[in-house]
Amino acid sequence: MLDMKNIRKVFRTDMVETCALDDFSLTVDQGEFVTITGPSGCGKTTFLNIAGLLETHTSGQYQLDGVDVTDLGDYARAKLRNQKIGFIFQSFNLMPDLNLFDNIDVPLRYRGMKGAERKERIDKALDSVGLFARRKHVPAQLSGGQQQRVAIARALVGDPLFLLADEPTGNLDSNTAQGVMALLEEINEAGTTIIMVTHDQSLAEQSKRNIHILDGRISNESERKIDTAATAA
Amino acid sequence: MEIGPILRALTRNKLGVVLIALQIAFTMTVMVNAVFIINERSKAMARPSGLDEPNMFYLRSTGFGDQFNSEVTEQDDLDLLRNTPGIIDATPINAIPVSGGGSSTALRLEDDPTLPAIPAAVYYTDDHALNTMDLNLIAGENFTSNDVLYQRTSESRNFGKAVVSQTLAETLFPGEGLNAVGRTFYNGDNPVQIAGIIERLQSPWPNSSFVEQAMIVPLNFISGTSTYLIRTEPGERDRLMVETEETLASNNPNRIIRDLMSMNETREESYRLDSAMATILSVVIVTLVFITSMGIVGLAVFGINRRRKQIGTRRALGATQGEILRYFMLENFFISGVGVTLGAVFTIGFSIMLSSLFESPTMSWYYTPLGMVILILIGQIAVLGPSTRAARIQPAIATRSI
Repeated sequence: MLDMKNIRKVFRTDMVETCALDDFSLTVDQGEFVTITGPSGCGKTTFLNIAGLLETHTSGQYQLDGVDVTDLGDYARAKLRNQKIGFIFQSFNLMPDLNLFDNIDVPLRYRGMKGAERKERIDKALDSVGLFARRKHVPAQLSGGQQQRVAIARALVGDPLFLLADEPTGNLDSNTAQGVMALLEEINEAGTTIIMVTHDQSLAEQSKRNIHILDGRISNESERKIDTAATAA
Repeated sequence: MEIGPILRALTRNKLGVVLIALQIAFTMTVMVNAVFIINERSKAMARPSGLDEPNMFYLRSTGFGDQFNSEVTEQDDLDLLRNTPGIIDATPINAIPVSGGGSSTALRLEDDPTLPAIPAAVYYTDDHALNTMDLNLIAGENFTSNDVLYQRTSESRNFGKAVVSQTLAETLFPGEGLNAVGRTFYNGDNPVQIAGIIERLQSPWPNSSFVEQAMIVPLNFISGTSTYLIRTEPGERDRLMVETEETLASNNPNRIIRDLMSMNETREESYRLDSAMATILSVVIVTLVFITSMGIVGLAVFGINRRRKQIGTRRALGATQGEILRYFMLENFFISGVGVTLGAVFTIGFSIMLSSLFESPTMSWYYTPLGMVILILIGQIAVLGPSTRAARIQPAIATRSI
């Protein structure tokens, strides 16, 4: 599904050249819940930006759902983001002037979907995060946890190939963070692939697979055996 | 199209929208009414006087001393002028068309002072006037030299014939057209017969309500001052202006020659205030439109800078550069739309007020919609730059924490 080979990303200014990712290779299959961890400045966000087609890489090969995105133009990348990727941001990134319904509507409008279908999907997405009754509210009228649930609904509404979550619990208290994490696990169990960047080791340990980045390279990779009986209990 | 969300978002940021919409409305009100006034003035300035203006000039001869005989001098001068190579004709006249100063009279169809009067400019001149001014006689005939009366200025102005402008003929005898030749009207208690009708002749007052109602009459006043209107061959005017002044001055030392002026200069002088007003109003329009455009740009830039992360998020969620551009163009379209709608109401109201206060013509209906379209376009052009920059905001900004 997501296949990166020898990805290298270099940021250049007049004075400095910084290599944010170097010889970075990663494959993520359908249905996985992968966490990306590492210290500040290790390249987590750069990886997320490249994986989410938010910025281009300097060299290497990146295939997304069988499509080589390396040489895609801005328009094609925007369309691919819209159709294949759901984003969850640390600061929620909701539009403060739009109500919840219109916020979740944003990616669907860019897909050119008809109004009736959009409404059906939005209502369902709001219902799935328990905020249908507050669809006419604006983000400022919600708590942080509720805002992140709206952001998750927005990420899911277009049935993306995978979710890219950038520190989704970073701005939440621990109880609310656990609630959001539980919701993400639920989404993953329903079949949606999730790639989550976090600096919270305890949250990383809840995922099936953890990639640790150090100085732009994968330093460690671990997989957790899920005890289905314990999970069910 | 994100029409619904844009409108809903705008209603949550009313103050900026209302302020810029009011600015647009105010600009439109001033701009449209000013353009209308400029157009009206330009049309007035472009009206033909009926004269061959580029080839005409005039001057005044004022005699002094006991030895000065005005009647003899005038006849000598006219003989000299009419025989000067390059001069087509010359005529004595009391006033110069379009110059701003002259004589008018009140005409009636009966010798009854209680009847409504029709105002008209009157040019006291002789049988050379038509040829000198190059007026187009379209019916009837010119005077003959035998028709011309010579009177002292203190004597009553009793002339029996007149050549009238087509507009004056139509005003005096509506619907009769060129058949008005031979009809009689009254100047005070003196009957006057229409000898001929000329296509066009303007009064000396360009802004008067009866600017096209004028007549020439065969009456020459004898006074110390004679005004000569002169038409030259094309291209000869400037040379002959200098030569004529010198010749007339040297011909008779008991007078001075003054007020030498071409018709072009006279027109320019008469319409100087109108030209100045048009210039000032144009500057006001340009300034207002510039300030409003800057306001639109300022609001757009402020809105874009405030929403950089939102724009990045929209891009991350799949908006193409074109969709971001369209979003801000549409947003401005709606703000401008509110402004020009308010502006249309203000414009029409202001126009009605001006029209009733100054008895000026009513503005044509198309000025307002045209003004709306122009201001919408100006708004779109103003916001194009900031919107293009907004469209270039990278989607990666969505993941930045600050």
